[in-house]
Amino acid sequence: MADQLYLENIDEFVTDQNKIVTYKWLSYTLGVHVNQAKQMLYDYVERKRKENSGAQLHVTYLVSGSLIQNGHSCHKVAVVREDKLEAVKSKLAVTASIHVYSIQKAMLKDSGPLFNTDYDILKSNLQNCSKFSAIQCAAAVPRAPAESSSSEKFEQSNLQVSSETPANHELTTNGHSPPTSKQILQQPKGIMGMFASKAVSKTQDVNKETKTETKEVSSVGNKAPGKGNVMSNFFGKAAMNKLKVNLDSEQAVKEEKIVEQPPVSVTEPKLAVPTGLKKSSKKAEPVKMQQKEKKSNRGKRVELSDDETKETENLKKKRRRIKLPESDSSEDEVIADSPGDYEAESPSPPPPPSPPPEPVPKTEQEPPSVKSSSGEKRKRKRVLKSKTFVDEEGCIVTEKVYESESCTDSEEELKMKTSSIHRPSTMTVKKEPKEERKGPKKGTAALGKANRQVSITGFFQRK
Amino acid sequence: MFSEQAAQRAHTLLSPPSASNATFARVPVSTYNNSSQPFRLGERSFSRQYAHIYATRLLQMRPFLVSRAQQHWGDGVQIKKLCELQPGEKCCVVGTLFKAMPLQPSILREISEEHNLLPQPPRSKYIHPDDQLVLEDELQRIKLEGSIDASKLVTGTVLAVLGSVRDSGKFLVEDHCFAELAPQKPAPTLDTDRFVLLVSGLGLGGGGGESLLGTQLLVDVVTGQLGDEGEQCSAAHVSRVILAGNLLSHNTQSRDSINKAKYLTKKTQAASVEAVKMLDEILLQLSASVPVDVMPGEFDPTNYTLPQQPLHPCMFPLATAYSTLQLVTNPYQATIDGVRFLGTSGQNVSDIFRYSSMEDHLEILEWTLRIRHISPTAPDTLGCYPFYKNDPFIFLDCPHVYFCGNTPQFGSKIFRGPEDQRVLLVAVPDFSTTQTACLVNLRSLACQPISFSGFGAEDEDLGGLGLSP
Repeated sequence: MADQLYLENIDEFVTDQNKIVTYKWLSYTLGVHVNQAKQMLYDYVERKRKENSGAQLHVTYLVSGSLIQNGHSCHKVAVVREDKLEAVKSKLAVTASIHVYSIQKAMLKDSGPLFNTDYDILKSNLQNCSKFSAIQCAAAVPRAPAESSSSEKFEQSNLQVSSETPANHELTTNGHSPPTSKQILQQPKGIMGMFASKAVSKTQDVNKETKTETKEVSSVGNKAPGKGNVMSNFFGKAAMNKLKVNLDSEQAVKEEKIVEQPPVSVTEPKLAVPTGLKKSSKKAEPVKMQQKEKKSNRGKRVELSDDETKETENLKKKRRRIKLPESDSSEDEVIADSPGDYEAESPSPPPPPSPPPEPVPKTEQEPPSVKSSSGEKRKRKRVLKSKTFVDEEGCIVTEKVYESESCTDSEEELKMKTSSIHRPSTMTVKKEPKEERKGPKKGTAALGKANRQVSITGFFQRK
Repeated sequence: MFSEQAAQRAHTLLSPPSASNATFARVPVSTYNNSSQPFRLGERSFSRQYAHIYATRLLQMRPFLVSRAQQHWGDGVQIKKLCELQPGEKCCVVGTLFKAMPLQPSILREISEEHNLLPQPPRSKYIHPDDQLVLEDELQRIKLEGSIDASKLVTGTVLAVLGSVRDSGKFLVEDHCFAELAPQKPAPTLDTDRFVLLVSGLGLGGGGGESLLGTQLLVDVVTGQLGDEGEQCSAAHVSRVILAGNLLSHNTQSRDSINKAKYLTKKTQAASVEAVKMLDEILLQLSASVPVDVMPGEFDPTNYTLPQQPLHPCMFPLATAYSTLQLVTNPYQATIDGVRFLGTSGQNVSDIFRYSSMEDHLEILEWTLRIRHISPTAPDTLGCYPFYKNDPFIFLDCPHVYFCGNTPQFGSKIFRGPEDQRVLLVAVPDFSTTQTACLVNLRSLACQPISFSGFGAEDEDLGGLGLSP
């Protein structure tokens, strides 16, 4: 019978599970009115005691009433143990209510556990805490979500913007690829020149290697006609093949796949390199990789621009606005596009920066998987690439595309710095020989010095 | 009273479950008007000196005192300014009191090297038999002596003194009077009992768990979970709950981040964070059932100077979903069902307690009502915003219920004014120590304390309940 159900329930709670069953706990657990819960508890106690007078049951009661104290009539509300119940009752002048507060198997030393039980069940039922109460208040209506969620909406919009921005980033970077490629051409030359001069000062093998490589590259680069060639110029001999492969494949969706198909380690450095690349093509090995990456990235970007100009245009614009404000160094771009979108952009910087430091390998692995698909993957690829592009160095990459004219040095410096940061992350790349790692760091350091020490006024000129 | 009304219904809960359980509707708010606007500060500028507040205080109080003086000492009494005084001439002067106390902590004395003084330890009272009273008006000041009790009075009180100037240059006081009570609108007559619950000093985050059960019992009584039907029916007549300050405990104020090295405190959370979360849950339970007004207190996260601004709703994400939650200023004044309430969280009364010989908080409360100023010590020893246009702490009209929170014990009294004003004075005790709250009956303007207790291991003689013989 329904009546007996609650008795069994209480029995189970008290004896089997050894719980402290307070009226409030029972009310929430069984979903009944608080007064009914109190009555249930009382009923259970009575029956249990009738059946088995030696039952191991300790009961606490709630007593309330008034008492004359210090000249006032004081209303007292007290939780008392069963043995004290009669004493307390006798002290009260007027007894307002008595009811069972809780039942438990063990004797309680103090009322702390009672509070804990009530607190726990309340915590899990916070939203409807007055559902089973004896008083209902008509005025206590939660505010309509529309009113209270004005702040939530703002947050949501921020989140949406942030989710959009990564996508936009990629498009914008892609869109900017053509100009940047040209700019990159010029930068590397200068960089290469400087690097070459600095490299001479270093006697380490690595430097020599890089030096020779850069020389080669620079020599090759001088002749650079097309993008692909230019790109290949930056790459060392070893990388030439890959570059060529990359160049060839750039035109088609498959190209990207192919590019990605080579060992992940290759892609890893590539992806890692783009970030470094973007910053400074001065580093030998890193430069190589960077160049590779740049090339591939540029190629992809070019592709993107070729293929999805329309699509990307709008996105570019959007992204630009959103993206640009993110990057600290992309002041010019920001001003050019839309300074007002700073706030919108603010959520997006966190996502981009977070992936780059760690997931260089991850990002690298992503392109391969993405490239395995077709057609639309281009988008994704590009997106991804651009992502990493952006992620690695924020909007620095895009900056490069935009403003190779205006601030080459600063970008290079940034690139160098960021590439040095990313160097450790690319350590996992199998492909890269350790020499390269050493080389880049030293190279970056040397390059950095070279950059800074060009002239005293160079500091201002960069801006 | 609450108890009697609660006891009128039959006891039903010591019986098997009944088919239906009564549910009571909370008495609806008939009229509520928050008139704390004078205590809200908009743009704040602290570039002013505090002298302006005294100037405006005297300017505003002067007419009240002049009329009182004429009532007390006849219409023919001469009211003069200090600059117009003639020696030996009996007259009445209106001015602001200043009490020169050698024990008053003075930062200048502390940091002065020539005295080589160690910082004074905080005392409970800073009075001293050598305290000197000085009367200041707009232009001059003069020392007071005579039949005026310096120990009871505090700096910042505006009063009228009757006497004459001696050759020594001091003013010999024969009599003095205060502004007494402001005019009062008559209290409305209600047909049913309505209660307002006043609680202060919840002291969350204090570490001691004893008061938590009491707090929970309080919330349960008000929300109608606890008690028999009679009690729940009476609880449904509680139309409002006012939390008068010190919701957080004094312990949450510890400034570890200042004293300890940064590497030790880098990842530690302030104690007030947990306490505010607990407070949010309690406020959620309360506001789901009854309109609540939350006043900040001395240890709460709001500004220090009086008037304290309301706590920010962002701290209570759960509770602010309900429109019944209202975060108000300290001091707070409102008209609830036609009855005018005015109260503070107790900083004004405890500050006067420190600088005067009055011992009973209720007595001090009455005294502030008589001098017609909520906190006369305000800029001197109690932090206050530098007002200059007007002094919002002057009573412009007399409330029906005047309370202050965080007193050491409960006190309640009906005070009658000279023009038949009737004020219920309530000293709301600190809940974390006394487990006692106050129920004010709006119909009869009476106050009943309500206290809660659990049981502990040592409760052999029911001492905890206060029921021992």
